[in-house]
Amino acid sequence: MMVRLPRATAVTEELLAAGPAVGAEALSQVRDRLVAAVSPVVADLPAGERLVLDGFRFSTALRHPERCVEGSTPFVPSPATCRRAVGLAAVDRCLRRRGTSPAEAVAEVLRCGAEDAAGAERDAAPRPPWWARWYGGLPAGARAAVAAEATTWATQLWTALDWEALPRPVVVGARDDWWEPPRSRLTVRTRAEVRVRTSDGQALVVVKSGVPDGTSRSELAFVALGASLCSGAAGAPARVVGLWPAAGAVRVVAVSARVLHGAADEVVSASATWVDAHLERADGRSRPEQALSSTGT
Amino acid sequence: MRSSLARHPAGRSRGDTLLARLRGDAGSRPAVDPGLAGGLRDWLEDELSEAVAGLPDGTGPVRVTKDALDQVLVCEAHFLSERRQPRQVTTEMARGTLVDLLFRQWVTTGAMGDAWEDAVCALRVGRDDGVLGFVEQLAPDARARLAAEVEEHAARIAECWPILAPSWMARTQERLDVPLAGGRIRLAGVVDLAIGAPSAGQASVCIVEVKSGRRRLEHRGDVHLYALLETLRSGAPPFRVATFYTADGEIDVEPVGRDVLLGALHRVVAGTTKLCRMAAGAEPDRTPNPLCGWCPGLADCVPGRRQVEDSTHTGPVTRP
Repeated sequence: MMVRLPRATAVTEELLAAGPAVGAEALSQVRDRLVAAVSPVVADLPAGERLVLDGFRFSTALRHPERCVEGSTPFVPSPATCRRAVGLAAVDRCLRRRGTSPAEAVAEVLRCGAEDAAGAERDAAPRPPWWARWYGGLPAGARAAVAAEATTWATQLWTALDWEALPRPVVVGARDDWWEPPRSRLTVRTRAEVRVRTSDGQALVVVKSGVPDGTSRSELAFVALGASLCSGAAGAPARVVGLWPAAGAVRVVAVSARVLHGAADEVVSASATWVDAHLERADGRSRPEQALSSTGT
Repeated sequence: MRSSLARHPAGRSRGDTLLARLRGDAGSRPAVDPGLAGGLRDWLEDELSEAVAGLPDGTGPVRVTKDALDQVLVCEAHFLSERRQPRQVTTEMARGTLVDLLFRQWVTTGAMGDAWEDAVCALRVGRDDGVLGFVEQLAPDARARLAAEVEEHAARIAECWPILAPSWMARTQERLDVPLAGGRIRLAGVVDLAIGAPSAGQASVCIVEVKSGRRRLEHRGDVHLYALLETLRSGAPPFRVATFYTADGEIDVEPVGRDVLLGALHRVVAGTTKLCRMAAGAEPDRTPNPLCGWCPGLADCVPGRRQVEDSTHTGPVTRP
């Protein structure tokens, strides 16, 4: 069942269009420069601690640096927080089984997840997805809310691209990219919803909530940087396409060495913001303006 | 424990009728004009450019929702009074939220157990906008009354709505958030149900708004606004919009033509211009109207009090 929004064809063409190539040497320069700049920044962290800079932390440091000082709230599973995980698994099923709709795929994913969670309690295998045990313990009304939220999310992604036009293999919901510079206490963690092979290497699709703004290009470049740093021989992605389904908006970043250097600079800046915030919390002192201005954010 | 709700044979014909009204005749659905969405967006941005230019630097985006439009188009002072009021959950609001959750459950799973329990469980894992606390603090008899009401609305949903085929691609509580003028204005809404597979060639989406309260004049404006937002967001207009009333099982269905979209556009321009004026700190215009008696700002509003006094001479007004 291949259906798509009127703009899906154009979005897919943008995704597959040629991008400025980033050679191995240029990528190596980005990596070396980033390691040299960020290592002293995270060295200020207390012994044994590590900064994991993911998309959320990167965006928070750029948009609302003052919020980095506030302590993080514990993660609570909810229909909204697990819609991406369930929705991605569902879109992957739609892609592999022609004729499956997102609603059917979501129902299957949830059923299998609950079964795996129950099975894992009995004999410890197979390992269920992270949301499955929580979902398995929910009453019917709450389970329906999870299914509804994931179905809407999955349908939005499923109708946003012309899947038939994408060259195989298409990877939906691959593992996040984790990059840890040598002898440094930083982990850069990025993720993309869809990865496709193109003539230039690979291209990524990222699904975002809300509406794009002035920071959105930086967020897409951050994803490009994470994928590039982890890419090995595959090299940097040619393009990162951001989709904002609620706004019907699309932003495209053609990945060049300049884009990656810019993203690396922002990683250093965001890391400094988080390290300062961490130290401030540890000190118990209130010096937000000092701490944030010193990072240049 | 109440009995589970499941679609039964008697409901089939009613459900099929409803579906036929929503689906219409596939052959008569309008072709998508690829320039329409861009044209509407340009029109809106042109019309609103002056209002946006009047916004002070540093103000956040002006959010244009169905409620904001309804209020500001009635009276600017009324809009400000409502906005200054602390949000208080009422029994009607709680009922609306619970019924929305049950409708979502029915459309997604095609089944409901104990309606009250299902709705409250969904509420517990969802966004907390104060309704859960309100419901949990209700006295036992008030809670029982609300539960009975919710049960009746749920029964109406199960009676009227067939289980939608997966090919209808039902999306529930879908957010629409369309930025204009570089994000200084955001047209926003949450669609209770969108059905129909999006298509590049032919308008194929139907938008349904669910209401647990009585019919009101503004409801048509609400779904027209959603038709406009969906057009701007996706590039294709919906072919139908509908309002389903869970109290009596009635549904109002309307085709979406250019007249509907242009009407919504003019309403958005008029309302957003006023909202920008308010955001810029302008003195609100006071427009006496039959709803003045329910306005939280009545005590400080001379024209409003006069309106209420005059209406007491001409007879009481029932809030629509």
